[in-house]
Amino acid sequence: MKACETSSYPAIGLQDTVIWDGLDRLGMGLFRLNEEGYITQFNAVAAGILALDRYGAWDDLHISKVDRVLATGLADQFEDVINGSLTFVRKNLSCTNSRGRFMVVNLVGIPIRSGENAGKEVLGIVEDCAIAHHEADDPSNVHQQLRILSEVAAALSSSFELGQILKIILTGATASQGLGFNRTFLFLYDEEADKLRGHMAVGPSSAEEAGRIWKRLDSMRLSLSELLDAHQSEAGSGTDALTSLIADLHVDLNGDSLISSACKSGTWINLEKVEEIDPVTTTFVERLGTPRIALVPMVSKGTLMGLLAADNYITQQPISDDAVQLLQVLANQAAVAMERAKLYDAERERAELLERMNLQLAESQDQIIKIEKMSVIGELTSAVAHELRNPLTIVGGFANLLLKSNLTDEQREYLNIISSEIKRTESVVDHVLDFSRASKNENRPIELSGLVERNLELLRGRLRQRNVEMSLSLAQEKLMVHGNPDQLSHAVYQMLKLVAEDVIPPGTAEVRTERRDERACLLIKFFCPDDGKEKTIKALKQIFADNKASQRLTVLVAVETIKYHGGEFGLAVGNDSLPYLYIELPLIEEDQSEPAHIDRR
Amino acid sequence: MSQRILIVDDEEMIRLLYRKELSQGGYEVDTASSGAEAIKKVSQGNFGVVVLDIELPDMSGLEVLQKLREIAPETSIILNSAYTTYKSDFQSWLADDYIVKSSDLQALKHKIKQLVVAR
Repeated sequence: MKACETSSYPAIGLQDTVIWDGLDRLGMGLFRLNEEGYITQFNAVAAGILALDRYGAWDDLHISKVDRVLATGLADQFEDVINGSLTFVRKNLSCTNSRGRFMVVNLVGIPIRSGENAGKEVLGIVEDCAIAHHEADDPSNVHQQLRILSEVAAALSSSFELGQILKIILTGATASQGLGFNRTFLFLYDEEADKLRGHMAVGPSSAEEAGRIWKRLDSMRLSLSELLDAHQSEAGSGTDALTSLIADLHVDLNGDSLISSACKSGTWINLEKVEEIDPVTTTFVERLGTPRIALVPMVSKGTLMGLLAADNYITQQPISDDAVQLLQVLANQAAVAMERAKLYDAERERAELLERMNLQLAESQDQIIKIEKMSVIGELTSAVAHELRNPLTIVGGFANLLLKSNLTDEQREYLNIISSEIKRTESVVDHVLDFSRASKNENRPIELSGLVERNLELLRGRLRQRNVEMSLSLAQEKLMVHGNPDQLSHAVYQMLKLVAEDVIPPGTAEVRTERRDERACLLIKFFCPDDGKEKTIKALKQIFADNKASQRLTVLVAVETIKYHGGEFGLAVGNDSLPYLYIELPLIEEDQSEPAHIDRR
Repeated sequence: MSQRILIVDDEEMIRLLYRKELSQGGYEVDTASSGAEAIKKVSQGNFGVVVLDIELPDMSGLEVLQKLREIAPETSIILNSAYTTYKSDFQSWLADDYIVKSSDLQALKHKIKQLVVAR
């Protein structure tokens, strides 16, 4: 606020009605205060803002009484203003008048003197910012209407995402650069239940919040397009407090009600101009807190998509039919955009489904090829193994027979070597035959812990003989995997057997099953003394080395079996520096027939 | 109590090996290289135990097993094969035992001894 020059009073003739009319058209309120601070003259706009039409409620029209309600501060500084030492200026004052109308006002008090001999007076100029702003962009102006529709249409056409489209509709309806409603509520149509369901709302939930939001938006000076862009990129879905007001509000469209009628006919209703309201609509307006609501159905190609309800709850401004008509045009555009978004979503889902099916088909083809390959390999190895079995029996049998005869020590030693190597070869043949036989069985869900426990039990005798202790720690939960039970059992058994016979010196190891994310794990951990760790790791590497050429046939078959089941096998060292072997397999749900995805390499 | 053993196998060396090994155990051993020959020998002679291969050139050992059960129900029969798969074939259950071929003949000799004593 700044003091003006006391010597130069504005030379306006307050009796000149042309000036009053001109300021009326600008939407400004004018009032005149005499030397004692009484309002002696005011125009209609000032009457609306200052609620001077409720004059009867007051004893008189003294500025101090007006200020008790509006708290503009003019009454306190009236003396300075009337004396010409101050021009009173107050901007963006949030207040509520005695009619309960919330406003953001600008108020100016200027000292004046109508003539040489006239007494001192103050001219008050007051404007409601929201109205001033709206009237500057009056939607009844055809050019302005086209601009709003064009900008909203451009924003709607830029998105296929339903949430964003809904946000654009609500922003376009509530932004002061758009249709300028205080609050807009969106209800979506549930075709199956024939009901409207509250979905999202935008707008301030109280006068205070309105003041804050509108001041902030005003200071940002965004165009409607910029505002729509900004709101599109914002997360969230409307104004939380307002959305929660209608979240559980359902409107049955079965009966006869104004809402039902608007939805069925596709025609908007300005409830402000309806005299009798049915019970369903009454419940609706009671929830929203005001009967002055515009109801606008959203219809695309004869299909009801939803309903927009808009009001001026905060400013209490009347809703013009022109504004509702414009909202209807916007709602129709939005309905088309919503239908397009739904079609787009449906198409996208179909495309994703097709992609998934193609992927599954490719996987199935790959699996069939693998199974065929495994089947051929199984048959081949089976045939080879059987062909080998007879000569091995003959060679080994005659070697054993010969060992019973009189031999030199050297001959006996050589025959013993032949006999033991034949036995080892027969053992390999047994493994191969077990595997080829297993490959013929069908896949099914298997519980890993149970499978491990059964196989470890088979090894107990051998472990006792070698004075090796293998403790067992099983996962509490069921670890379901999918696969060929015989193949997996064979792989686990061979791993445990190799470890028990060739790796662990008399000592201990722990066999553990556990869940790791979406994998079922079998861990074989070796408790070796510090000086034995290197030796154990070396032994493990020799047997389970990555280099296939150096791996034993048994390990190769077991590892390939695990890989075939989408699993992994490896050697690692834990945080406690103890080495461990692990087998990981994809987990499935107990009632699931196959894992979601198996990478069968 | 007959200690006559018939070895039925198309592999000559297997027949030779078994003959040598079982002869050393005190058994009288005869051999047949086909199913037909085995049926003929069993119908003519009195064998305590038949050691029968399954993969034979003229017919399946399982067919031979059925025929032998008809003509000589008292004779014990051990199926002896390089294949393990026939164990799950119900026809093989007619045999007194099923022993997979191995260079270690202990299991076979032990079974023969059991069956001979049992007779």
